[in-house]
Amino acid sequence: MNTESLVLLLRLAGLMLCGLVAANHVATGRFRYHENLAGCEVMVRQIFHVHCAYIVAIIAGLALLCLGWPRLLLADGMGRVLSAFFALFWTSRVTVQLLYYDRETRRRNRGWDVFFLGVFGVLGLIFTLAALHR
Amino acid sequence: MKELLEIGLKLAGFSLVALAIASFWIPKALGWREKLAGLTPLMRELWWTYSAYVWGSHVFFAVLALGHGDWLTGRTGAATAMSVFILLWWSVRLWLQFFGFDLAEVEGSRANRIAKHLLTLLFAGLVVLFGTLVAWNAGWIPEGP
Repeated sequence: MNTESLVLLLRLAGLMLCGLVAANHVATGRFRYHENLAGCEVMVRQIFHVHCAYIVAIIAGLALLCLGWPRLLLADGMGRVLSAFFALFWTSRVTVQLLYYDRETRRRNRGWDVFFLGVFGVLGLIFTLAALHR
Repeated sequence: MKELLEIGLKLAGFSLVALAIASFWIPKALGWREKLAGLTPLMRELWWTYSAYVWGSHVFFAVLALGHGDWLTGRTGAATAMSVFILLWWSVRLWLQFFGFDLAEVEGSRANRIAKHLLTLLFAGLVVLFGTLVAWNAGWIPEGP
């Protein structure tokens, strides 16, 4: 695949990542994070929110990179390392969803389950292509 | 200065490797499994997934610091951006250590107190290192003779 096509795909990935940032906010209400965590110890709640915020920060940072400086992800050396890291990040996210997440919850939300599997799969593919690009 | 920063990055890298290894001990020390038992399966799964990805990010920072010190000190726009991102990451973590987390529920054993002080020291060191790296990459620190 040529560089221009990959730049276009990385920009598309940037848009998908913006969608994921928004989806994280929607999930907070849909899955009632606050109510579900209400009975937990304070530290458990705090760690959950902190980890959630850090993950959103990674996704937002990557979205910014993909939309503003996609060629950096295709550069030799560091660009390749970054792309490889995010290829692993998103590919493993597909595996986590398929093998770890509760089947019953996934069945009850089948539409979203398939949608997010598709999004994570496409992101994994784009970053794998970017990492392998010469 | 560049040599000093590269030494700092090596130290940071090894410290992050130590943190990544020690992280396997945290769930047991803080009794996460028991404390999460009352959550719905989805919330538990999200908890462990987020934790695993944050852990993965720490490993990635260790790989960067140990294997790509030359790039991180390269005074390029990309190196500056990456240094700023990592600086923000650890600055927030240091702030949380003092003002965010309520540690009252954590058992005040000697081991936990030592671990807490070591973590605070590590986060502070990382903030100083990556703050200096940002200044270096942005050209605010001269190259010297």
